[in-house]
Amino acid sequence: MALFKRVIDWIDVRIGARDLAQKQVGDYLLPRNINVWYSMGSILLFIFVMQIVTGILLLIYYVPDADKAFKSVTYIMNEVPFGWLIRMCHAVGSNMMVLVLLLHMFSVLFMGSYKGPRELNWVTGFILLTLVQGISLTGYLLPWSQLSFWATTVATNSANAIPVVGHYLVEFLRGGKLVGPATLGRFFALHVAVIPLAIGALVGLHLFLLERIGVSTPPFGLKETKNSWQGKEFRYEGHPGGIRFFPNYALQDLTSIAIYFACFLGVVFFDPYLFFPRDAFLPANAFVTPAHIKPEWYFLANYQTLKIFPNELIGLTVQGAAMTFLALLPFIDRGPERHPLKRPVFMVCTLGGILLWLGLTVWGHYS
Amino acid sequence: MRHANYVMNTIVLLFSLILPVAVLAAEQPEIVCIQCHSTMPGKIGEPVNLWRGSVHAENGIACNACHGGDPSDAANAMSPARGFLGAPKEKAIPAFCGRCHVGVHTDYLASAHGRALGKGGPTCVTCHSNHQVLKASLDLINEKSCTRCHSFERARVIKAAMQETEAMIVGIDARIKAYKATGTDTDKLEKGLFAVRNRFHTLFHNVDVEMVKKESTQIQAELKKIEAVLQGLDDSRHKRKIAGAIVVAGALLAAVFVHLLRKTYE
Repeated sequence: MALFKRVIDWIDVRIGARDLAQKQVGDYLLPRNINVWYSMGSILLFIFVMQIVTGILLLIYYVPDADKAFKSVTYIMNEVPFGWLIRMCHAVGSNMMVLVLLLHMFSVLFMGSYKGPRELNWVTGFILLTLVQGISLTGYLLPWSQLSFWATTVATNSANAIPVVGHYLVEFLRGGKLVGPATLGRFFALHVAVIPLAIGALVGLHLFLLERIGVSTPPFGLKETKNSWQGKEFRYEGHPGGIRFFPNYALQDLTSIAIYFACFLGVVFFDPYLFFPRDAFLPANAFVTPAHIKPEWYFLANYQTLKIFPNELIGLTVQGAAMTFLALLPFIDRGPERHPLKRPVFMVCTLGGILLWLGLTVWGHYS
Repeated sequence: MRHANYVMNTIVLLFSLILPVAVLAAEQPEIVCIQCHSTMPGKIGEPVNLWRGSVHAENGIACNACHGGDPSDAANAMSPARGFLGAPKEKAIPAFCGRCHVGVHTDYLASAHGRALGKGGPTCVTCHSNHQVLKASLDLINEKSCTRCHSFERARVIKAAMQETEAMIVGIDARIKAYKATGTDTDKLEKGLFAVRNRFHTLFHNVDVEMVKKESTQIQAELKKIEAVLQGLDDSRHKRKIAGAIVVAGALLAAVFVHLLRKTYE
């Protein structure tokens, strides 16, 4: 302990670490009515770190070559000590990341935390959602299984519906006319380098904005629930008399992370195949089209939307419009009220949207 | 032109994604043998419908695979110059089928059935049928079929000796498939079962009761080795679940502990 203290002292006298920690975590005050939904961000950070660690461990044995990828994954699952655990953690973790990210966004939506001056927090969060979907999609191909191959074929094929540039885009994504070794190379580079760096940078920006603007006050349990910011000058939303981030809310974060971790490990150990259909364990074969290839659960609504409309262009346009509306929501919904029960139109639209998404997902699963 | 090709490729690709393989297979143009014979009455047209229900049709083995000829040219489909063989004489049937089923042919010739070839003994089609060729299974050994030529007593003993082994093979096959569906490397197990199953199938044409019993015992010993490996996998999965229960409980306990710790700060 003495050695540890000496190391901290050594650092402290050079960069003022204790003062910085006190200001950033010890004296960092949060609203007194803060709730458990505010710990979703910490859970997401934990998942992101887990994905990086398990991803690096997988990289030790994974071979991004169309002839060797499937065998290397089989080797990881069967020969590498705890390889099955690492792979399952990575695969289940990617699904959990999307799930928790959606919960985080829903909580922000219902508490009206996206409203000014936090528009940029929402936009960076929305971009993070698309990047997480992107990293999941690119990672899906890497095992080079029947599921990977055909799901990627279907997904990249959707771009064909875009007028004029559609087929160029498909060829650009695939690195050729069909999904093949070039696609694997591209998706691998995107999955392990480009998108993780982009996610890291966006997470940094998201946290920076949170630090600069301050944590929003939940609209629950308050008399005045309207947004008081007028938009005329910068304002840091402090919470005098609030609870300290450290140790109080940090312990709430840890509790939430531990509960999440228990659920996550429950899936990993007891039903990891929840996210793996049978085709996920057959090597890719360009000459055998499986009868029922479906995308991951979080793309099922998109998949079903494309099937509902008479042509894919309309389906893509509708999806693009919905995504744009969601991305620009803080600029569209400019009313000051934040309490969900005092916003009936918002509540009907949001609940309707969630039910529609769930309905399309279930429909997509059984169609 | 390049764009037109691209559009065509895309259309083909889209259809290949949308339609199940079975549908595509059904939509492939029929060979000329089937086109002509299926419209013909009686004995000439009958083989087409029989073939459709055969193990050959199930595996894409069409008329020309056995009878030769040119399935793409109606005018010369049955020309000897194009390799058309027609239907074999009864004595030539085992050699006719044995062009593909080499091992089975050898086993048959060595059996009492094979030794009686040309002397009133059965040929391949006697038990497996012609055109509506039936898949080799123990069901083919039945009283109705065997008593056409001899009593069923010996066949009954042989079938009983083989039934236990067959059940073991079916059970092991299902367990291997289940493990394969969870990402387990079952390659060695599959190859091992394949070899044992082939050895077992050689007994199907043997009518020596003692030999069948002896061989079945040896085959079962081999199958038990595969079962031991599968049992090892079962044990490993069971241990994983126990470890899982411990870590999940650990994480929940940690959650409770941290929650209580937080309460002390309130």
